[in-house]
Amino acid sequence: MSGISRRKFLKSTVVAGGSAAAAMSSTKSFAMKEFEGYPESMGVLVDLTRCIGCRTCEAACNKEHGLPEPELPFDDFSVFDQVFHEGKQKRRTTEKAYTVVNRYDTKAQGAPVYRKLQCFHCSEPACLTSCFVNAYTKTKEGAVIYNADVCVGCRMCMVACPFSMPAYTYDSALHPQIIKCNFCYDNRLTKGKPPACVEACPQEALTFGHRKTLVKTAHERIRSNPKKYVDHVYGEKEVGGTSWMYLSSVPFDQAGFNTTLQHHPILDNTKSFLGIVPMVLGIWPALFMGFHLLAKGGKGDKESKDKVEVHGE
Amino acid sequence: MKIRKIRIITGIILALFFISAPAFGVDDEPPTSVRIDSLSHLYEGVDFDHELHVDIEENCSVCHHHRFSSEVAADRCAACHSECGGTFSPTCSDCHVAEPFTGKHIRQMEEDPHRFHVDITGLKGAYHLKCLNCHIETGAPTECVDCHERTDAGNRFYSSGKYAPTGGKSGGSHE
Repeated sequence: MSGISRRKFLKSTVVAGGSAAAAMSSTKSFAMKEFEGYPESMGVLVDLTRCIGCRTCEAACNKEHGLPEPELPFDDFSVFDQVFHEGKQKRRTTEKAYTVVNRYDTKAQGAPVYRKLQCFHCSEPACLTSCFVNAYTKTKEGAVIYNADVCVGCRMCMVACPFSMPAYTYDSALHPQIIKCNFCYDNRLTKGKPPACVEACPQEALTFGHRKTLVKTAHERIRSNPKKYVDHVYGEKEVGGTSWMYLSSVPFDQAGFNTTLQHHPILDNTKSFLGIVPMVLGIWPALFMGFHLLAKGGKGDKESKDKVEVHGE
Repeated sequence: MKIRKIRIITGIILALFFISAPAFGVDDEPPTSVRIDSLSHLYEGVDFDHELHVDIEENCSVCHHHRFSSEVAADRCAACHSECGGTFSPTCSDCHVAEPFTGKHIRQMEEDPHRFHVDITGLKGAYHLKCLNCHIETGAPTECVDCHERTDAGNRFYSSGKYAPTGGKSGGSHE
């Protein structure tokens, strides 16, 4: 009796172990798979050496999307002096502005540097992967778009975004939603037109094109003008690559960029763990239930036998 | 008979072309003033004082690259363009297109593997980068309205002037 039990036990253990190992290996291959962005993805190269802080992009975005009237005119440059959180925070994208330009008085050069901020349209967006109702979509054109109809307002995307881009309409009691740059997806991108800000920029600080080509263009600009540019294309590798990339004449941290970001997608931090979850939930209950039944089964038989014997007496 | 007619007409057209082309040649006197207004919408066109700028900068190729000058400004350009000399037209829009980011133009730039100049700015970018960078370097006026006045459409666009929100300061400067 006990011999059969042991054989059964070993057999089932081997089977369970094998399937667990198989599940593990499949998890690993899932985690290792790399997504390098859609091949036809569009992008924008922002050349900070060209930006003059005219805020025309902000005005163009406001008009294109029918956003609320600004508190100050778009040619009021006192906004560059605005700071928040005890001077630590410059202007950010809000529920009324998909994009903002900030001024940085850098030590590296005499003239200030202006930086346009908007959604970076990551190749593998953290907002998208953090959203449990799939309100976000990364389109093949490169845009990260948001669907307010399915959004439940958990605002996990706002926490997940490494660039703190999504804003939220807190003042809307009935239909609050996330507000962020959508790369002019519906009105322009899908119709072969550049985003409104790109079209409006007088200095062509924004160059629109295929992301692949823009990476080459960016490196070519650095190569042909090494004294002008810092040898780095911000967004080429940051968080696994972004559709919007930047060139700068000053070190990127001096122009307000987070230079501590990892060079692989945010999702990679949780992918291997999340891959194990189905395995744990699916196999562990069966495995340990098997152990339990086998262990208890033998004992139970003996107990019932004993009981029968007792009754027999 | 018909073929001969076609040949004659073609000949006349070609002759006209070669006769008229040198009319825009390098020997001509530069214009005193140039009206730049092909893109004007938010701002009025610019009456560019060409004479003034010729007095300030005698080397045409500073603005016109190699296209309107016998000398090529930069060594980098001279590698290929040293012998091209003058050309028929000094117009910026010959190379800098008004709409550089249409799907068609992007494809056109990408599809020719032998094209060297793939990173050409559009017309608006070319004007502003060329003019403004020099104005910044030389201490010339740099605010937008210093060169071109804003139109009513422009004021609406920037929520400025009579379209300004209450309390807003319109027509600001970067100083």
